[in-house]
Amino acid sequence: MKKLLRSRNTGLIVVLLILLAAAKILTPTLFTKFMLINTLQNNAIYALLAVGEFVVILTGGIDISIASQLAFVGIICTKISCANPGVPGIVFFIFSILLGALCGALNGFLVGYLHMVPMICTLGTMYIYRGLAFLVSGGEWWFAAKYVDSYRWWAIGKVFGIPMLVWWVVLIMIVIGIFLGFTAPGRRIYAIGTSRESSAVAGIKEPKVTFYAFTICGAMAGLAGMLNTANYAIGYYGMAESFEMTAIAICVLGGTAITGGKGRMDGVALGVIIMAVINSFISMIPGMSVWQKALQGGIIIVAVAINYFTERSAERQALRERGALI
Amino acid sequence: MPGSNYDRDLSVKEGFVLSKFLVKWEMILVYILVLLNLILAVFRSDLFFQKGTIQSIINAGLDVSPLVLGMVFILLLGDIDVSVASQMILGGMVTGLLMDKGVPWVIAVICGILICMVCGAFNGFCVAFIKMPAVITTISTSMLYRGIVEIILGENSLKNFPKWYNKIGWFNVGPIPLSMILFLIMGVIFCFILHRTPFGRKVYIVGNNPTCANYSGISVFKIKMEVFILMGFMAGIGSIFFIGRMGGGVSSSMGTGYEMTAIACAVLGGISTNGGKGKMYGPIIATFIMAFLTYTLGLLGVDPNSKKIFTGVILIITILISTINKQMIKDIKLRTLYHSNKNIEALNDRTNEQIKDLKKQIAACRKSGKSQEISKLQGQIASLKKECDAESAKLWEEQKADEARAKARYSAK
Repeated sequence: MKKLLRSRNTGLIVVLLILLAAAKILTPTLFTKFMLINTLQNNAIYALLAVGEFVVILTGGIDISIASQLAFVGIICTKISCANPGVPGIVFFIFSILLGALCGALNGFLVGYLHMVPMICTLGTMYIYRGLAFLVSGGEWWFAAKYVDSYRWWAIGKVFGIPMLVWWVVLIMIVIGIFLGFTAPGRRIYAIGTSRESSAVAGIKEPKVTFYAFTICGAMAGLAGMLNTANYAIGYYGMAESFEMTAIAICVLGGTAITGGKGRMDGVALGVIIMAVINSFISMIPGMSVWQKALQGGIIIVAVAINYFTERSAERQALRERGALI
Repeated sequence: MPGSNYDRDLSVKEGFVLSKFLVKWEMILVYILVLLNLILAVFRSDLFFQKGTIQSIINAGLDVSPLVLGMVFILLLGDIDVSVASQMILGGMVTGLLMDKGVPWVIAVICGILICMVCGAFNGFCVAFIKMPAVITTISTSMLYRGIVEIILGENSLKNFPKWYNKIGWFNVGPIPLSMILFLIMGVIFCFILHRTPFGRKVYIVGNNPTCANYSGISVFKIKMEVFILMGFMAGIGSIFFIGRMGGGVSSSMGTGYEMTAIACAVLGGISTNGGKGKMYGPIIATFIMAFLTYTLGLLGVDPNSKKIFTGVILIITILISTINKQMIKDIKLRTLYHSNKNIEALNDRTNEQIKDLKKQIAACRKSGKSQEISKLQGQIASLKKECDAESAKLWEEQKADEARAKARYSAK
């Protein structure tokens, strides 16, 4: 019971309940079935990016190139699909994952094997992928009329009344959650995030782990690219600009330590839901849409600060229990 | 004993060695700058030799320059600040709002800079006092500051700025752009601060090892706060440059991506993002390189979005170059030439050193004209090489046999 009270997720659920109560009073229309599903669908892309970013942050790195990867993969899928309307959607679904994984693998190679600083490396590749997205698109914009239904079905087709996009997010969260929590390669990601030195002593090859962490992140970004174009039926090279910040924000909000090694998939899921509620909540109150950016920034800062204070108090508690601190 | 580590020279001053000076990172940057100019002069000679081209290149590229100077200090601490562009816009907005209210321009400009310093102080407080990682702090504060501008300005833009703002972006003093003169003056001041004052040395120590700095009586909190406030101040100066260049207007969506350009310039200038390594001269030259690079690519017909690819590739390659060092080359040699066997590596290293000594003796003999000795020594070298090769082959055979035995034992179980 004490453990449950102190756990971070309990705090997040309380925050979520307060937000929902406020939303109920201020914007009653949020609680229609249509709006709830719409909110989930609109934030599913953030969720996909956040899952990928979560894996990288667990290793102690950061990837700010995911939004550019999204644009790059999305543009390529769109271009091929619009030129060959006969190709079934599943081809693009798999192709986007593979292409995204390739983009992520480049980051992983540079960071893991060549020991570049993740922030600077992904800053460089962010420029590169965004530039490539422009080169591939040639500055062209694709609109709803050009998209075929078989392509769009993968995001907006409904199964049991819920869009496919949401199903994908749920599926991927479960798969990656199991991968991180219960398999050896997944635990290795936590290990190198916690301590590089001790994991190296334990025989974990750090370059390899970093490499596949970034590859998973890239695969998620690539999938998000295909689904983003399919969902909104719009494709241009500048799409999804600064989505990576929202993804990082969701991870941090969900209790992931930015220094690596700490965080859980259920926290990320809660982070996604809270971010979704805040976003839709704000956009439904008239005149509040300009507040979105400032509020998001403020929320991340407060979330990180709370992370740090709880961590430190837990450390002090542990010391006190051992009698080191009086 | 030749080749040992015990005869180390502990003197601090190295003196001036021309061959070392010419391959310094700063000199390489100068070569790149000259190369860029040559490319431009060859391929677009009609434009290059026209009056005003170079001035406009420099004017166009230097609006980011104050941010670079501040960013060097932040990176030297091992931190990073991606909120500078947002700070810049926030400071510009405050100045513009005060000018709209009819406040004299001196007070308006000072207030703008002060707001930037407060923003920097907030970043510094989060990083140094709460000890939050700089990346996530500044990512969120960049959203926060830009969000504040969005709340206050909305879709509007401010137009009312002091008249002399425009001169910084566009005016030339004789043949030299005003922005370049100001930038060089600031650069000299910053070089002095970083390399000739106790504060600069403390920044290096904190960047290299904060714990060590703490135990040697340096307040890490104070140094970090000072550096972040300095960054805020430079962002305030940057807002003057930026608004001047943009023709005296500011809106909430302006200046996105400037922080990345500033970081790219500093990193290109040889500042290590792990902190504690790098000099001030490099980034100053790198700022000019960036200016010439973007303009050259533009004149050669590359569109602005594809230019991003070049920026990214150059950023990655420069950092990769700086990571190449003796240890890395040794590692690659160990893996490729010596079959990951440390015994073979040590044997080869020892033999190479002996051969080096013998070669020195040969050179000495040549000077004194002893031809008999030379042939004798050369024979020695050849025999040493042969011995070494035979020994390495033997060790390699042993390793292979060991591996085979281990494999057999493993498969038997």
